[in-house]
Amino acid sequence: MASTGTPTSSSPWGSLQIPRPIQQLFNRFPLVTYNANNLPARTQALTSSNLPTLHVFSTDEDALEGLPSFNPTCLKWQTLLRLTKTPHRILPSTNHASPTGALPFLLPPQSTSSSTKPIPASLLSAYATKHGAIPLPSSSSATKEETYLSLLTPIRNAFLYALYLDPKYSSLLDRLYIHPSSSSTLVRKTLRYQLRSAAAASILQSRSLHPDSGREQIDGEAVFAEAQEALEALAGVLNEREGWFFGNERPGEFDAAVFGYAHLILSFMDEEKGLGRVLREVGEGAIVGHWKRVKIEAGWDI
Amino acid sequence: MASFLGTDGIAGPAGANTTTEPAHHKAYQGPTHMLDEHYLTPAAIASVEIHGATNTRRSLLDHVIKPLVADPAGSNSTLGEVLDRIGVATRKLSRFDIFKEDAFNVFISEAKKSETALPSDKAELDVSIRVKEKSRLVFSAGTDFGNAEGSAYTNAVIRNIFGGAETLSVNASTGTRTRSAYNATLTSPLNGNPDLRLALDVLRSSTQKPWASHEEQLTGGNLRFSWLSNRNETHTVTYSGVWRQLTSLASTASPTVRADAGDSLKSSISHSYTRDRRDNPMLPQSGYLLRAVSELAGWGPLQGDVSFAKYEVEGSGAVPVSIPGVKGNTGISIGAGFRCGALYPLPMGYSLTGPAQPSRINDRFQLGGPTDVRGFKLGGLGPHDGTDSVGGDIFAAGSVNMLLPLPRTGADSPLRLQLFANGGRLVALQNKGGVEKEGGKRPLAMGSNAVFNSVKSAVGELGNGLPSVAAGVGLVYAHPVARFELNFSLPLVLRKGEEGRKGLQVGVGINFL
Repeated sequence: MASTGTPTSSSPWGSLQIPRPIQQLFNRFPLVTYNANNLPARTQALTSSNLPTLHVFSTDEDALEGLPSFNPTCLKWQTLLRLTKTPHRILPSTNHASPTGALPFLLPPQSTSSSTKPIPASLLSAYATKHGAIPLPSSSSATKEETYLSLLTPIRNAFLYALYLDPKYSSLLDRLYIHPSSSSTLVRKTLRYQLRSAAAASILQSRSLHPDSGREQIDGEAVFAEAQEALEALAGVLNEREGWFFGNERPGEFDAAVFGYAHLILSFMDEEKGLGRVLREVGEGAIVGHWKRVKIEAGWDI
Repeated sequence: MASFLGTDGIAGPAGANTTTEPAHHKAYQGPTHMLDEHYLTPAAIASVEIHGATNTRRSLLDHVIKPLVADPAGSNSTLGEVLDRIGVATRKLSRFDIFKEDAFNVFISEAKKSETALPSDKAELDVSIRVKEKSRLVFSAGTDFGNAEGSAYTNAVIRNIFGGAETLSVNASTGTRTRSAYNATLTSPLNGNPDLRLALDVLRSSTQKPWASHEEQLTGGNLRFSWLSNRNETHTVTYSGVWRQLTSLASTASPTVRADAGDSLKSSISHSYTRDRRDNPMLPQSGYLLRAVSELAGWGPLQGDVSFAKYEVEGSGAVPVSIPGVKGNTGISIGAGFRCGALYPLPMGYSLTGPAQPSRINDRFQLGGPTDVRGFKLGGLGPHDGTDSVGGDIFAAGSVNMLLPLPRTGADSPLRLQLFANGGRLVALQNKGGVEKEGGKRPLAMGSNAVFNSVKSAVGELGNGLPSVAAGVGLVYAHPVARFELNFSLPLVLRKGEEGRKGLQVGVGINFL
């Protein structure tokens, strides 16, 4: 549209005024307005809650009890909400439901505000600060935090490698991520393939390889060795300072993140070898000690 | 090359006594005036030849031609009956959709009598049918109108692949709402009968559903068996397995839509029945349409992730209105339509009493829109979560309309003035039997008694108060491809959350309520 004309009317319809009597006549319609229709049973069962709902990977039963999610990132934020005593409940969900394409996200209850815009994970710590009963520890220097966060990447890679690419855990992968999506064998096969490719691509990318170069390019030994180094570094830090990371008074976001991995590795991976063994052994059980402390702080009886 | 069929050997088309070669429509209609007097002459078919069916298997043609030659009535058939039978056979051939319609030629000639035959014997006829096969490979591209959606497509059709009138059609399209759709369909007549068809199709599509803030991606296949009954009713039985992915939610998507996001596989068997007795489907002025669709998903051996029974019926009819003193068709008609449907959640597996999952948004009905209940937005009726139309399990809708010709254009033009009123109710099942656990946590699944009570009370809810109604006036233009409507309407009765439309609304589609 040419915008060279008068700025008052951008569209030919804009200048068209409905005559007042007709406007008044229109306003009489509809003649009768009844109460709203009730929402479907599924909606009422799943979404009618006065609590903000954290959408995570979980099972129906676990979600009802508020048990830990089986996804490290979801568990991190779930733990953070618990640590800050931010009121919430959890609902099993899928990445499709998330505004960012990845879980978790928080949906505020409908009653409080007219808009129910979801809160993505990146804004959850601000949300917890605002709505939580216990404040988060003030964050330390950004560079320090970044260094620590970079230690999580190798652990994440090793966890992804074990769960998605190691055939030893394929039945675990099925139970956690594949079977809840669909009961159909074909759909499950497709999803498994897609998830495995995505996990491989993600590992490759973080190791500065091209994401399409194929999972054969991933050196499992190296991935595991890097994770071991990172875990040792984290355990070293914890051994120096008995309590929480960054020497904080209370556990914070980084503690929740480490707990996210530690809890899942301890729950699902055996102590004989691999990640399960390393995590239990590093720094004379420093990480396990930290995991126990976070568990108590978060009020989990598991 | 030609396929020769016959009982008494092969006779050439030479020596034609009677040659009928009118335009194709007449050719199928059998007798012409010239033949009237010979109608009752005893006659039988000696041989039938088909020329030009180069790529067609003989066995397919046999199915059509054999009954012609077999002469079940013995020696008593007359010329008239024989011509009728030839007409039936050629019509059947043309329904295979592998021969050019305007290239059908039927030659009938008297066969040379064998020397042993008695002189008073009936006429023995040689029939020669000339056909031209349609090209086997056709590419096309164009635009299409479906209900409330326009699209552009490219299509490739391979006809008569194995010589048995099998057709493979590969289609790719993109539209205003369908972001992309690909499908391939292989159709074959069964038992050489063009009215009995088996079709297998695979599809992949991704469709935006703005009324519920999401996009649905489908990947799956259907096996369809359809037939035309003697009373000209279409029946289709379909097995369908579709993986549905509800994804790409809008940032404003409601909790209901978010809760239903993700994967589900629907494995269902359905039957649809159509009896169309309308004079013109785009602008019916007389006649009626009946349609019923029933679907069973997930129960018993069907498996899948959703389990329900779904039933939908639709009826519409129109009667022409005559005005005293005006001869013939006035172009005025009154029509009415009614639709209703129900979704009944079922337990998975073979149980009838086990717990059943309440329906998901992609299985529930939607109601409202310019081609549906006019005067409402798409999916404007029924339960709404925020601005999302989340659908319902039970619905009923009806419409009445009057079509009037415009003053200048007259009754024969495809333009009409329309006065209409329509309305409906769309209700979702409530979990009536759900016992609330402590802390307000409700179990998702419903027991069989709960389902029954919920359906009962939802049906009762249909009659609670007036239905949501809108009325208006508009113009209708019936193009052979689609019907266009421009209506001005006002909502009369609404429920909170339902989205009526005050003012103008454009409708383009094939099926209107």
